Amino acid sequence: MITAWRLALRDLRRGGRGLVLLALCLFLGTATLAGIGSLSASLLAALDAQSRQMLGGDVELIVSQRRATVEEMAAFAAKGRVSEIVSMRGMADKAAGGSPTLVDLRSVDAAWPLVGRFRLAPGAIAARPHGLQIAIAPALADRLGVKVGDNLRLGSARLRIIGLIAEEPDELGAGITLGPRVLLDPQGVDATMLVQPGSLYESRYRIALADPATAPTVANDLARQLRGAGWSLKTSDRAASGLRRGIQQLGQFLLLVGLAALVIAGVGVGSGVSAYLGAKTRIIATLKVLGARSGMIATIFLLQLAAIAAVGIGAGLVLGAFFPAIVAWVAGDSLPIAPIEALYPVPLATALALALLVGLLAALPALARARLVPAATLLRDSVMQRRLPPLRTLAAMAVLAAALVAVAILTASDRWLAAGFVGATAMVMLVLLGLGIAIRFAAARLPRSRRPLLRLAIANLHRPGAQTDRLTLALGLGFSLFVGLAVIDTSLSAELAGAAPAKAPRFFAIDLQPDDDARFRAAVHAASPGATIETVPSLRGSIVALRGVRVADMKSLPEGAWVLRGDRTLTWSAIVPARNTVVEGRWWPEDYSGPPLVSLEDSMAHALGLHIGDEITVSVLGVDVTARIAALRKVDWNGLGLNFAVVFSPGYIEEAPHGLLASVYSAPASDGAVARNVAVALPSVTMIRTGDIISQIGDVLGQLALAVRSAAAITIVAGIVVLVGAVAASGRARRYDTIILKLVGGSQAQMLAAQAIEYALLSLVLVTVALAVGLATGWYVVVIIFDLPWAPDFGAVAATLAVSILITLGVGIAGSLPALRARPAEALRDS
Amino acid sequence: MLAASSRADSALIAASNISLTLGSGSTRVDILKGIDLTVQRGESVALLGPSGSGKSSLMAILAGLERPTAGDVRVTGLDFARLDEDALAMARRKRIGIVLQAFHLLPTMTALENVAVPLELAGERDAFVSARTELGLVGLAHRADHYPAQLSGGEQQRVAIARALVAEPDLLFADEPTGNLDTATGTAILDMLFERHDASGATLFVITHDPRLAARCARVIELADGRIVADRTA
Repeated sequence: MITAWRLALRDLRRGGRGLVLLALCLFLGTATLAGIGSLSASLLAALDAQSRQMLGGDVELIVSQRRATVEEMAAFAAKGRVSEIVSMRGMADKAAGGSPTLVDLRSVDAAWPLVGRFRLAPGAIAARPHGLQIAIAPALADRLGVKVGDNLRLGSARLRIIGLIAEEPDELGAGITLGPRVLLDPQGVDATMLVQPGSLYESRYRIALADPATAPTVANDLARQLRGAGWSLKTSDRAASGLRRGIQQLGQFLLLVGLAALVIAGVGVGSGVSAYLGAKTRIIATLKVLGARSGMIATIFLLQLAAIAAVGIGAGLVLGAFFPAIVAWVAGDSLPIAPIEALYPVPLATALALALLVGLLAALPALARARLVPAATLLRDSVMQRRLPPLRTLAAMAVLAAALVAVAILTASDRWLAAGFVGATAMVMLVLLGLGIAIRFAAARLPRSRRPLLRLAIANLHRPGAQTDRLTLALGLGFSLFVGLAVIDTSLSAELAGAAPAKAPRFFAIDLQPDDDARFRAAVHAASPGATIETVPSLRGSIVALRGVRVADMKSLPEGAWVLRGDRTLTWSAIVPARNTVVEGRWWPEDYSGPPLVSLEDSMAHALGLHIGDEITVSVLGVDVTARIAALRKVDWNGLGLNFAVVFSPGYIEEAPHGLLASVYSAPASDGAVARNVAVALPSVTMIRTGDIISQIGDVLGQLALAVRSAAAITIVAGIVVLVGAVAASGRARRYDTIILKLVGGSQAQMLAAQAIEYALLSLVLVTVALAVGLATGWYVVVIIFDLPWAPDFGAVAATLAVSILITLGVGIAGSLPALRARPAEALRDS
Repeated sequence: MLAASSRADSALIAASNISLTLGSGSTRVDILKGIDLTVQRGESVALLGPSGSGKSSLMAILAGLERPTAGDVRVTGLDFARLDEDALAMARRKRIGIVLQAFHLLPTMTALENVAVPLELAGERDAFVSARTELGLVGLAHRADHYPAQLSGGEQQRVAIARALVAEPDLLFADEPTGNLDTATGTAILDMLFERHDASGATLFVITHDPRLAARCARVIELADGRIVADRTA
């Protein structure tokens, strides 16, 4: 062992350059895995650490369009300290008038916040708002051009700004808000007169328990007590569920990126080690002539690979460990939650195990071949027979592969996803290997071309020692990866751009009372005479029973049954709403007046296992309405029209107190005037500018796109390294041919052309596979993981593929330049 | 006959009826055809023949680099035809030194390290002491720390000779040892090779197509078309 180690180090001293690819692949693979793992762990740790603060307590109960009854408050208070928060949207404007702006209004009681600290920026004239006072977000002060001490008009009240909000402990748990925050107390919100029957507001009751660990039990108790009253419950471990879901979604994508990086690293290690040991054939044969046994040969080169792998993996682990800190430093405030910077041993250990297994698995066949190099190679150049590695090596590879799959799946955050990826990758690799063999087979049987360059290019694909199958695997995976990432990226870009559909309304109006419809239309038309206004009735209700079975009595809710959690906005309509298509059942006649019927969005109905003819019961302001499902609809959720998952037939439901939702299609230039006119005529109506929604969606998508692109960049670098390595390795194998052709008068241009033809032929065959694999992977990530519309830009995808092919050609040609430039005598001596 | 048999038993090399065929089907080539050969300890033998006569292949079989397709080969008492690659490598370590036309030094190791490798592989503790001595004997003590690429062809071949002799083998093969060298350097190398052979007492087996070089050996075996066509002693 000591001799082997000594010889290994001695050889590495001057001959280790060929292992750069191995080190680089392992570095990139390990860094990606360790980095992704550490980042996910740090974000989830931050979520866990802040979950109680984000929820603002241990248990949160939410109800729409009403406040808790005295009995309900008593039930909450029996469990622990209680705080009430009422939130809604409203329009704020300078007292002197101007351009009203949408704000997110929160009325908080004296007990708030139960967890964490509320703080105003220096310069505040009171610690927290009381009565006709408000604290506002700095963004609102900027937007309206107001300062501490000024007055704002909100609904029917004039309220004094006492300070700018510096710290709001439960801000993250609030989810997406459409306007800057305005905080006030219950007396202040009453003064605004914004809370009216039918207006859209939410009441939240947070409970701080003496023992936070009892939160699930308390939540269960309360759920039983409040059954059927329209409450939804959250415990602190479900705080910021949107953010948690987002991080999990991103984690799933990153898991795929990590596994892809791992596969690519494996291919890179395989081709790197194979090329390295191929170049060492004469050294191996010399050592054998001098008395080295095959075991000694394997040990020498295994030690070399281990030393270089240790450097690559070690550097990757260090970078991975610091990844959360780097992301926090680079992304700064644009992150939704600051990662907790710490050392996360589990993802690091997982990355280490996976990298070691991949490295060893990929290197084993080449090491086995090196063992078999005969000493006689020194006397007679021999092309090693293409044959399977020995049984012992195959058995070792099977064990390593099984361990690799087990570690990859068992340590994944989503085991099914990881298992699917492993299975799909194995299938793709088998297809590519089969394709490589088929290309060799077909190239060998093609009729000999009369054109010498084409003949040479085709011969290079099948001649003894050709690297065709290795190249097919590397290029196939590389191209597929690039196509997949192009699909994901262009779909995200389309979503970012498409967040502002051309025919979107300029405003949505909420809290519009049916009696105010005419005044509202008049106010809008006064500012924008040609404006189109669509109004629909809206009311809040929760689904309390499916086919006669109370939701509260169900042991578990079906997967995807988001609609059963809390209140939903409902409507009724005599006709099929715009942008909706009936896909099952029949819509009711326009003059229908029988028992209540209902139409559901089809994917929601499928998630709940509901069919035409089934009955659902909806609780509207405490009254149960049971309706039979008459039709299922497909809804075009893209665009920003008013869409509803649950639509009733007119009639009975119209008796319930309700409001109107309006969408206003007005001229963009009259935005300010429309908002002002409505604010003056109907102070309690909230106008939401679609631009505000778009910018919120855009922010979220922008963060997602940034994360996706950053992760993809690492994988692309790994892909390019592998591509370069594979092509360079195959270039080395034909160096001798280049020299001989030059010797017999071949020009540089001719030899470059032959090589370009060879790579172009190979690339053309692989384009189909890459498109199929890349599009399928991209579709899965975009549609299934990110739940976004499938909108790839096929032009960009084709361009990506073309650039990949050009890179391949470029690298191949650049790789052969040294041999082409060398004088034949010099090159022959070296070879 | 009895005398011949006992002579073969005590011989350093005893090959009988060996043949070597490479390739298969239409690419099948018979390289060696029924070679019988006995070489005694301490002899200097030249294997003479034109290019393609099979001399390098015969050397490869006798040096344990290749196994014959048929026939028996006993070298230093070991049945080379039945040993596997690893056993042949072990056999070469202490018994056989090989000098090749293209030198085949390890490019990543210095001259000294190249010479020390066979001893290191054999587990010798003072490999570098012996290597330095051997390098001095071929006149390259001052080039010990140079890499092959920094040495001239003649110097590289001298390192190869030192490497072949450092383990004090019973048998020294030299395959066209001057083929890659100019005449003056070649002559100097041969002088040194024979000088080192005389001093070590090893059996020397030189493969060449040069009759003048062959004439420096005590015994000349001529090969043509895979067969021994002459075997004479000077």
